[in-house]
Amino acid sequence: MNEHIVRSYEDELNQLAAEVVRMGGLAEAQVNDSIQAFARRDVPMAQAMIGRDGKLDAMEAEIERAAIRMIALRQPMANDLRRTMAAMKIAMNLERCGDLAKNIGKRTLILAEAEPAGPVTRSIERMGKLVASRLKEVIDAYTASEVDRAVSVWSRDTEVDEHYESLFRELLTYMMGDPRTITAGAHLLFVAKNLERIGDHATNIAEIVHFEITGQEIVSERPKLDTLTP
Amino acid sequence: MPLQDEARRRRPILLAGLAGAAAPLVLAGLEQAQWGPALLAAAAAGAAGWALSTRPAPGAPESPPPTAAAIDPLPYAAVVEAFEDPVMVVAAGAPGETAGHRLVFANLAARTLFRIQRQDARLITAIRNPQVVELVDEALIGRIAGHVAFAGGGAHDRTWTAAARPLAGADGRGRLALLVLRDQTDLRRAERMRADFLANASHELRTPLASLSGFIETLRGPARDDVDARDRFLGIMQTQAERMARLIDDLMSLSRIELNEHIAPQGRVDLAKAVTDVADAMTPVLRAKGVRVDWSRPAAAAVVEGDRDQIIQVIQNLVDNALKYSPRDGVIQVEVSAPTAGDSPPPRDAETAGLTLLAPDHRPGEFYALLRVSDSGPGMPRDALPRLTERFYRVEGQKSGDKSGTGLGLAIVKHIVNRHRGGVSVESAEGHGATFSVWLPLAATGQTAGLEAVVKAS
Repeated sequence: MNEHIVRSYEDELNQLAAEVVRMGGLAEAQVNDSIQAFARRDVPMAQAMIGRDGKLDAMEAEIERAAIRMIALRQPMANDLRRTMAAMKIAMNLERCGDLAKNIGKRTLILAEAEPAGPVTRSIERMGKLVASRLKEVIDAYTASEVDRAVSVWSRDTEVDEHYESLFRELLTYMMGDPRTITAGAHLLFVAKNLERIGDHATNIAEIVHFEITGQEIVSERPKLDTLTP
Repeated sequence: MPLQDEARRRRPILLAGLAGAAAPLVLAGLEQAQWGPALLAAAAAGAAGWALSTRPAPGAPESPPPTAAAIDPLPYAAVVEAFEDPVMVVAAGAPGETAGHRLVFANLAARTLFRIQRQDARLITAIRNPQVVELVDEALIGRIAGHVAFAGGGAHDRTWTAAARPLAGADGRGRLALLVLRDQTDLRRAERMRADFLANASHELRTPLASLSGFIETLRGPARDDVDARDRFLGIMQTQAERMARLIDDLMSLSRIELNEHIAPQGRVDLAKAVTDVADAMTPVLRAKGVRVDWSRPAAAAVVEGDRDQIIQVIQNLVDNALKYSPRDGVIQVEVSAPTAGDSPPPRDAETAGLTLLAPDHRPGEFYALLRVSDSGPGMPRDALPRLTERFYRVEGQKSGDKSGTGLGLAIVKHIVNRHRGGVSVESAEGHGATFSVWLPLAATGQTAGLEAVVKAS
């Protein structure tokens, strides 16, 4: 409480990590809200979540400033440098997740005016829940500094891709069935793509957490689903 | 009766003494942390005050709620510690640093739920939901009490109400706030279940019902005197009626499972023994279809925490499924092994695509028993896999035999396994059959055995 006491270096690092976790909570809530607004065609909810995006941007800028100040004043080395860099990079990824969620929110506003898409919406919602749980897991891993938890998120990256592939086909069938659904279908496709990219950011964060704790990159090549082969 | 009067006067003093003695005892009992005793008492008084003020005693609506001081002093530390609802006390961080708020007390329920490892942890490491963070902020800085509803996320998707109010009377400790959570999952589940049940049931029952009324119409009209047609139609009608009955059974059991999904089962089940029971029960059906089953079980018991009937249902549904898609003279492999780590098992075949359909919340150092059921059927294309646990989903262009299922079997498996804190995965490719794997956390004895095995191997 006393401002005259110089805060310890360790405490400053912890505070930086805590700010990242707080930002993570906000990003998670944005992603969850965007999925819920999309699934329920809830226009007020979508508008509210779009309005909150600015807060994430501000937090990212704040974290970046704090990290740069830390590097300039404390010249962190080894472990401490990794923690500082990790905070900055994770904040960047979280901010991107927020942008993608905002985009889902905007498409929800458009989709709310079209006919309900039925089962495809449920498939996208299911994929959304998977992506949201992935993001939660990786932020949990960062909060508790658990390497194996981060690795488990990282190694299951293909699952989101599988869902996306399956959805892609489902959407094509849906659009071919009735050309009037193509406009909505295109937006749905982008919603699915945005979710897939949020999943990618979760995987990125898992890599950053791994590097932060161990000082090494995850070695083996990530199993990647080849989406371009017929 | 002077003796009794004397005793009555002494009781509060005695109890106060007891409380004083109990507090340090409770503190010693807490494994990881020694929360400050004075704070604990403050927390206890606050929590009790909160509980009493929100739940007034029945029959006394007009009188003001009793304060903590007005009743006999109980061992409050133990009371709050034993509270079923998570109770926390938060101390404000430096001005302008919301992420700096720290937990100065958390009862057993809170420590278990949020896996709080150490004393003085930051609130943000336990709860990072922005609404709750804001609520606590308002209680600490603005001294405003309030509450919000929020979802916990994770595999069990629990819903909570968080109530925060400023705590008074903690001089020299800065600002304090009390945060109490209450589980609302039951309520939400029950609401949603009614809606889902109606939507599913009405939609899926319409087809067999339409066919039934069509046949009834024909039997009363054109086919009134046609004996052959009548027999045939009645046969079809019976099949349809049975299908409707099966559907209702499955929907009901799915609803029941979903309602209890967030409550972990209490019993102990030997997975190997459960497999034997299913094997015995299914012998006639298997023989009738000419399908052979390879049952392989571990030498030792694989005891998991679980509900016996539900575990049997999981095995039964998986074997039923395998049987449905097996060709005549096909072979089904059922395999139980323990202990394994809590991840999807490695693929059986390089040609197949694998997908985890359900992953348990990560718990480090947990060991599992693994059940795998493989068939030699036609397999499924890769893009069908993510939709397998969807209700009423069917892989396109596949016939599941004459006695078609309800389309709920795998959904039931998924929800049962989720209740058991386990995982489900599938691997398949067209022409390569399908393998379903289920892993369930081992009971306490199995956990030790798992640890020993790991130590031996390293």
